[in-house]
Amino acid sequence: MYRKVVFAVCVLLVLAVSAPILAQDEVVVRFRSWSPVIATTEAMIAAFNEANPDITIEPDITNYPEYLVDLQTMAAGGALPDLIGLEPGALTQQYRDHLMPLQDCAVSTWGEDWEDQFFPVGIEQARLGNPEGDDNIYGLPVLVQTINMWYTVPIFEEAGVEPPTTYDELKELADLFNAQGIAPVMIGAGDGWIRRDVYMQLIHNVAPGLIYEAEDGMASFTDEPFVEAMTWWKRLFDDGIFQMGALGMTHYPAAVEQIQAGRAAMFPMGAWWQQQAGNPDPPPLDENLQGYAPFKFPDVTGMGAPEDLLGGIDVMMGVTRGSANPDAACKVITDWISGAGAQALINTYNDLPAYIGLRPESFGSENQEAVWDLFTEDWLASVKYARQLKSPDVKQALEDALAAVAAGEMTPAEGMQLVQDANM
Amino acid sequence: MSRNWLIENQGLFFMAPAMILFAVFVLYPIFYIFNASLYDWDGINEAIYVGIQNYIDMFTDDRPFGLAIRNSIYWTFLTIFPQMFLGFILASILTSGIPFQNVFRIIFFMPAIISPVVLGIVWQRIYAPFGGLLADLAFETGAHFLRQEYLSSSRLAIFSTIFVNVWQWTGFSMLMYVAGLQGLPGEVLSAAQVDGANAWQRIRHVVWPMLRHVHLTLILLGVIGTLQTFALVYMLTNGGPSSASEMLPTYIFRKAFPLQSMGYASALAVVLLVIALSASIFQVRVLGSRFTIGD
Repeated sequence: MYRKVVFAVCVLLVLAVSAPILAQDEVVVRFRSWSPVIATTEAMIAAFNEANPDITIEPDITNYPEYLVDLQTMAAGGALPDLIGLEPGALTQQYRDHLMPLQDCAVSTWGEDWEDQFFPVGIEQARLGNPEGDDNIYGLPVLVQTINMWYTVPIFEEAGVEPPTTYDELKELADLFNAQGIAPVMIGAGDGWIRRDVYMQLIHNVAPGLIYEAEDGMASFTDEPFVEAMTWWKRLFDDGIFQMGALGMTHYPAAVEQIQAGRAAMFPMGAWWQQQAGNPDPPPLDENLQGYAPFKFPDVTGMGAPEDLLGGIDVMMGVTRGSANPDAACKVITDWISGAGAQALINTYNDLPAYIGLRPESFGSENQEAVWDLFTEDWLASVKYARQLKSPDVKQALEDALAAVAAGEMTPAEGMQLVQDANM
Repeated sequence: MSRNWLIENQGLFFMAPAMILFAVFVLYPIFYIFNASLYDWDGINEAIYVGIQNYIDMFTDDRPFGLAIRNSIYWTFLTIFPQMFLGFILASILTSGIPFQNVFRIIFFMPAIISPVVLGIVWQRIYAPFGGLLADLAFETGAHFLRQEYLSSSRLAIFSTIFVNVWQWTGFSMLMYVAGLQGLPGEVLSAAQVDGANAWQRIRHVVWPMLRHVHLTLILLGVIGTLQTFALVYMLTNGGPSSASEMLPTYIFRKAFPLQSMGYASALAVVLLVIALSASIFQVRVLGSRFTIGD
């Protein structure tokens, strides 16, 4: 009996000592993000693992609001994963101290001229909000986008109309579609980000580039063009351009459900709307993107709509300073940007690739291919200004002001004063 | 340490586990939150000491905070008393021996056991003025008043949310009153009847006062529920539009996580704690502590 006990203890000791050694051979990269969705992420992991079977990727994908909570909790507990999804500007800047500069990773993968291999807007925005003199890249862009408008093709065809190019045309269409019980412009304005997206397009029409000057203190948010854009925002509600109850609705999923059901003539979204075609069991309008087409935000000022678009990075990825396997994390990111993982990602039409030259291996319809080409060959190259703002405080104040003005609780001037106060 | 000291103070050892748990899970978090409330801190990077500035900002320059306090008062009075009133009426009907009364009790109680998240999603689709149930009903029947901006109007949003809460919890009040009514001594009611009291007088002067412990319990639970309100508001309006339906817990969450102002959110949490303590002391001192156990 005594011998058996001694033998068992020895076996346990050997196992206890050897377990960490065995574990050391396995390289694990923990990845947490809100994007891409889990099914796409798994496809990217599978593609990556074909060439890199020695690296295990542990993904955890949650919705964006929950992701922010997770990230903050993990940062406070010193338990950030190796690889995290980021947005340019405010979010990246908040976590900058926890992120590794990634230029060396990029140079080792793509060479010294690596920046030229990306759409310029992706590289510019990767540094958005960096302190003066800090040229580090804390996150590498994976997907980029434009923000624009879309229309539902069968609704327009049935009505025999074309997408609006001016405010008057937009108003005429709104009256037409309202009478038919169709939402002229479907928006879930309960979500701050879509309110901001629309305002950014309005101010871009009124005074291109001015909002970035105001962020840098070279203009005031209370200046006339900002108030004018805010007044246009309010008119979109008052003139029945947006559907009734827009302010109490989320863009995802509530507004999207109505769009997919064919109850919306137009809607603000971005290049990422193409991903509807990649969803399993898509509704008829989504299938091969046959029901939708993009168009530019109408000219509300009458002075002519700008030729360029707003846009930038959809999702970028950063490696945390506490990562146990930064080299493996670099390998994963770069593969997901330009390698087999990237191809798997792009095949789902999730959004536009940040890396130039990638293209889905197949399209389901001519319309889908035409839309892809329009974005990548025409619109993306003309993206001049960022969709995002640098300061989280200004961003939040603008979203709050837009809600308050739309609800009639503030005048446009009061709303912009709120934004200016946040920029002090 | 002498044996006598140990014997004399043995009570301390029995209390120790509870004291330790209380210190770790109640006192320490309170201290931590109070300490955090004195900093400008995003919960991620280094905190900057600002003293009581967060509290000054809260009481002088914070519109959502004022709205959250206002909405908490609305919520307290517009949920607790209507729920009690409706619950009592339902309980009175469902203890009077009508057919299928047990089935009705289950139906009325069912919303109380459904997750507020699910209810939020369902009611959002009922309220939606475009494509919602009430809007479609208005379109089909011509009853256009049904199509309102229930959740998107800053005037209506908080009341629309309160309505859902009353709808959800009236069944719970009903169940409490059913239990209370079934526990009433029959001889007292019979004596009142013999003395010539009509049905209204019996309810007003006999039944209602004898259910005092149920009333107090529902008020206590209602106040606790008000201070904890989160999921329903988060799902239905997320505190909007423009903070019009903000409650303290939703505002604390919004500040702490999406807005990443953990220091300020901690100050809000301290204020919520003070309100909760004050409400508890008020209830015990003014209403007494004779809840479900009765007099």
